[in-house]
This record gives sequence, structure tokens and C-alpha cells, in this order.
Amino acid sequence: MAKVKTGVSPRLSRMLEELQEGVEDGLVPAWIFNDPELFELEKEKIFSRSWVYLAHESEIPKPGDYVLRYVLDNPYILVRGEDGVVRALLDMCRHRGMRVCRAELGNASHFRCPFHGWTYRNDGRLIGVPAEREAFGQDFNKEEWGLVPIPRLEAFDGMIFGNLDPEAPSLEEWLGEIRWYLELVTKRSPQGLEVLGPPQRWVVHTDWKLALETFLSDSYHTLMTHRSLIELGIAPKDAKYAMYGEQIHIPGKGHGSMVVGAPPGAKLPPFWGYPEEMLERARTSYPTREQFETARETRILLVTLFPNFSFHNPIRKPDHKYQGAVPMLTFRVWHPLGPGRIEIFSWALVEKDAPEWFKEKTRLSYLRFFGSSGTFEQDDTEIWSHVAHNAATPQGRHLRFNYRMGLKLEPDPNWPGPGVAYGLNFTDANMRNFHRRYLEMLLS
Amino acid sequence: MERTQALLNCLYHEAELLDEGRYREWLALLAEDVRYRVPVRVTKERGPEGGVSGVMEGMYHLDEDYTSLEMRVARLETGFAWAEDPPSRLRHFVTNVRIGEPRPTPKGEESEVRSNLLIFRSRWDRPDYTFLSAERRDVWRQEEGGWRLACRTVILDSATLPTHNLSFFF
Repeated sequence: MAKVKTGVSPRLSRMLEELQEGVEDGLVPAWIFNDPELFELEKEKIFSRSWVYLAHESEIPKPGDYVLRYVLDNPYILVRGEDGVVRALLDMCRHRGMRVCRAELGNASHFRCPFHGWTYRNDGRLIGVPAEREAFGQDFNKEEWGLVPIPRLEAFDGMIFGNLDPEAPSLEEWLGEIRWYLELVTKRSPQGLEVLGPPQRWVVHTDWKLALETFLSDSYHTLMTHRSLIELGIAPKDAKYAMYGEQIHIPGKGHGSMVVGAPPGAKLPPFWGYPEEMLERARTSYPTREQFETARETRILLVTLFPNFSFHNPIRKPDHKYQGAVPMLTFRVWHPLGPGRIEIFSWALVEKDAPEWFKEKTRLSYLRFFGSSGTFEQDDTEIWSHVAHNAATPQGRHLRFNYRMGLKLEPDPNWPGPGVAYGLNFTDANMRNFHRRYLEMLLS
Repeated sequence: MERTQALLNCLYHEAELLDEGRYREWLALLAEDVRYRVPVRVTKERGPEGGVSGVMEGMYHLDEDYTSLEMRVARLETGFAWAEDPPSRLRHFVTNVRIGEPRPTPKGEESEVRSNLLIFRSRWDRPDYTFLSAERRDVWRQEEGGWRLACRTVILDSATLPTHNLSFFF
């Protein structure tokens, strides 16, 4: 592991050494969840060099369709040009820096700056400059003054990611073996996924890593945080239901997944309860037989990509009286706004070729259990905000959190997928792997 | 005037029930076929028709029927609904009430009722609070036993919500 570099303050340098000392032993200091100086370092070392999720292709299906998205506080217009190509253009006029896109979504052939009127096509080219010759002369070359694209833009199965670092490894290399788990969702149907509308967005006073950990590794919290849903008969009767799963991490990458089946003795339908016709399509749609077999036994699936993207795909139903099961799928960006403050972007998605009745039920399952008003999720955000508050207090910030769950577990040699897998989901293995990668990036 | 006063009384009574956390009594104010929706609001450019826009039809913060609202209330009663335990201190400020003409329907006489809503929310012992501002577009129906809320659409004034969850009712 690299030594803490010069260039950071002596205070931060001491803090990083403390993190470095603790991480292998499963001890993580509370201050990592709310510290202004560390947040500045995260912006520079993590978010300026990582692949960050921006949009799903189905949000902008037609030429001219656009949505506005962010990497840190940089606004990007994700826009499909007339040529069908998706670009991410920095929403900043090349003349004086005003925003040229003044909506969150829409369809436009061009973007015009309201300051001096410079006008850009939806592929970013500058096409109009008021009084061009009088103001800038004959030799003004508009080709040099187009909107600036994000340094890197790549997609995986319809998921569009951007990277501020022109030297970054390819998205494929960045993802590595986690693709096997991503594909359990992206390749469930040959048609792929579509969004069920724009994202819900809301602000939570917490740290992006705290939110992320819940989806990356923390099946343990379901016992207590989500007890109300167990009481209502929405979650399985066995309060330890999320323990009976496999937890997998990808060493060196920071990514992880949790694949949970039915608790022993519980009668839950196979394949999350997706309709039989979708199960049949999945049989030939998945790249490998192992993926199909794994998917058939799955009831809850989570995948988290370093640094701040998660998806959650649990078995659910639209309400507590509903007979049967209707799974739901949500994509997440834990967008960092500042120390101890995030904005959540939350999408609901479904397979394009799912039956219409199912799309409607899965939409309702999502809305009632996850997202801004979700009966599961609202308890998570309540708790995350108090943890982040304590993590900034003078005494509390020095406490070390216990990440030692499952420290002595042996990997499961029979797991058919890639990565390091454990056959008991009550472990902090994915979190320890995340923090190892987190520290490595902070120090490099 | 009698109808106007009756509907105003409904709105104020409802606000009292919500502020005091009397959710079972609140459920009794709802029609069995109630639709209760909070669409996602987005920033959009001014359209040729003018006015304000950005009310999404494709995505909601809440899209509820009687059963799912009852589920949310039942959850609050489990003793493990941490988002509202301890409960938020809520105050519903209801103003600018506009009442439409009555219209007969097979289920009873209905009236459109629009109101402005400001919700103050404070939690724990912190001095900070959040405000949510919205317009409510309701349909109230005269049924046996009184007026029932048959439909509510909440037009939020925020695109990105300035609060950590929607664990309460509008």
C-alpha cells in the first residue's frame, strides 16, 4: 500500500494513516463519513477519475432527446444527436460560461445561450454567433468553439457512464468481473431494460459511502431497520432472510454484489417471481448457463459499482394484501453534494418486453417500497442522516466502526460466478474490499 | 355557501388529523376508490401554451390507492417505522382554497377543490426544519355519512425534494 503523499495537510495526512492502519483489521474511523477536507480529496482523487453513471439509453431514445446529469457539480447534457450518437456535453457556453440547456429533460435540435446568443447543434457544434463577422472578424473558426464533451463516455448494455479523466482505463476494464452480476439484470431479456420515467431526486444529509454500503454489503441492517415490513408480512417471516445469500466482491475494483435466495423453508417463487414467459426468455438470453441457473434461484439481487452506483432488484408485491410476488428494479446514483450531504437519483426500470400488466405492478412495487417515499427506504435515510451527524462531532468522529463481521469466513469454493464469494451474507467483506480500493485511490 | 363551508371544514379537519397523527381517522375520510398521487416535478422550459410545467405523468413520488395508504398507516403502527418514530412535528397550512361547481356522478355529487399547501416538518430535538410547498388538486365526493376524498394530485413546487423522505401525507 502506498504511503500517504505530501500535498495533503498534516491533519488529513494523519487521518489517512489512521484509515490505512485500520482497514485490513476491519476498523474504519467515523470521520470518513463527514469531513470537509476529506471530501475535497474525494472530489480530486475519486470522482475526477472514476466512471460515474449518468443515464440509461432508454431515457433518450430519439434524436434530439436529452437529459441533464452531473459528475460532481459539472452539469452535462446527455443528448442523442441527429446522427443517433449519444454525447455528454458540458452545459457551459464557450463564450462566457452560461448554461445553454435550461431544462432537466426534453428534445432539442440545438441549444442557445441566453447571454449573447451563441447557438450549438445537439451534437455540440457551434452553428450560430450573433454579428459573427462584425464582432469576431473573418477568421473566426466556429469549429474550435463547440460545446466541450466529457473527457470519456462509454456504455455497457444501455448504461451510460462518464469519466473526467482522459487517461482512465476503459469502462470494460473498470467493471471487470462485476459484469457477470450486472448481466443478471441487463441480459435478463434480449430486449434489455427501459426506464419507467425520470428519476426521483431528493437530498439526504449523509455521506455517499454510507448510502452505498447499505446496498453494497449491509444485509445485516434489514433485521432491525426494516422490521416494520417483516411485521406487516411484506418481507419474509424469518427476520434473517437476507442472511441466506452469497456476498461477492471483485478484488482490486471495489465492486460487489449480494445474491439472495429464498430463506430455508420459505415458499417464494423462483426467478424473483418474474412471469413464466420472462423466465423462458431468460433461458436463452443469458450469456452463460451459470447465470441462468443463478438467476432462477435469486429472490434479491444487489450490485454496487465503485464509486457511487447501485442497483437493487428484490422480490416484492404492490401492497400487503396482494397475493403473489412482483419484483422491482431500481438504479441509484449516490451523488455527492458536499461533506455529509448527498442527492439521490433513483430510477425504476423494467424489461422492455415485459407484459404491460407486469410493468404497471412493478412500477407500483417500486413506488411503495423504495425511492423517496418507499416504506423500506424512508427508514434507511432517517438512520443515515444521524450517523453522518455523529461522524462529524468532536468526540464521535474518532470512534472506529466495527467492520469485522465475517473476518474469519472462508470463501465459498462452489460459487459458480466470478469474484471472491462467501456463502453467508452476514459479512462486511464487500465493505472491506470497497474501503481498500477507496484508500488506494485516495493515496494514488 | 353551505357546500363551500362544508368543504373548507373537510380540509381543515383533515389537516388537523394529519398534524396530530390520527391516521386511522384520516383513512375514514378517504373514498374506497381513492387515487392519491404526487407526480415527480422537473424543470422544463416554458412551453408555447405559457404557464408553468414539468409535472411528469410517467413518474411519481407517491401513487397510492386505499389499500396502499392503509398499508402505510399500518406500518406506522408497528412500532418499528423509524422514519416517523419519533414522529415528525408536522403542520399543514392550507390556503387559497378554490371550490369548483358540483357535478353529479354515479357515485355521488363531486366537487373539485384546489388548495395551496405548506408543510412544516421538524424532527428530533434539532432546530432545523424543512418546508414543502404544493398545490393540491382534489376531488371530494358527497357520500353517505359525509364528504370523502376521491382523488388527490399534489403538484410539488420542488424538482429535487429538500427533505430526506416522504414518510408523511400531503
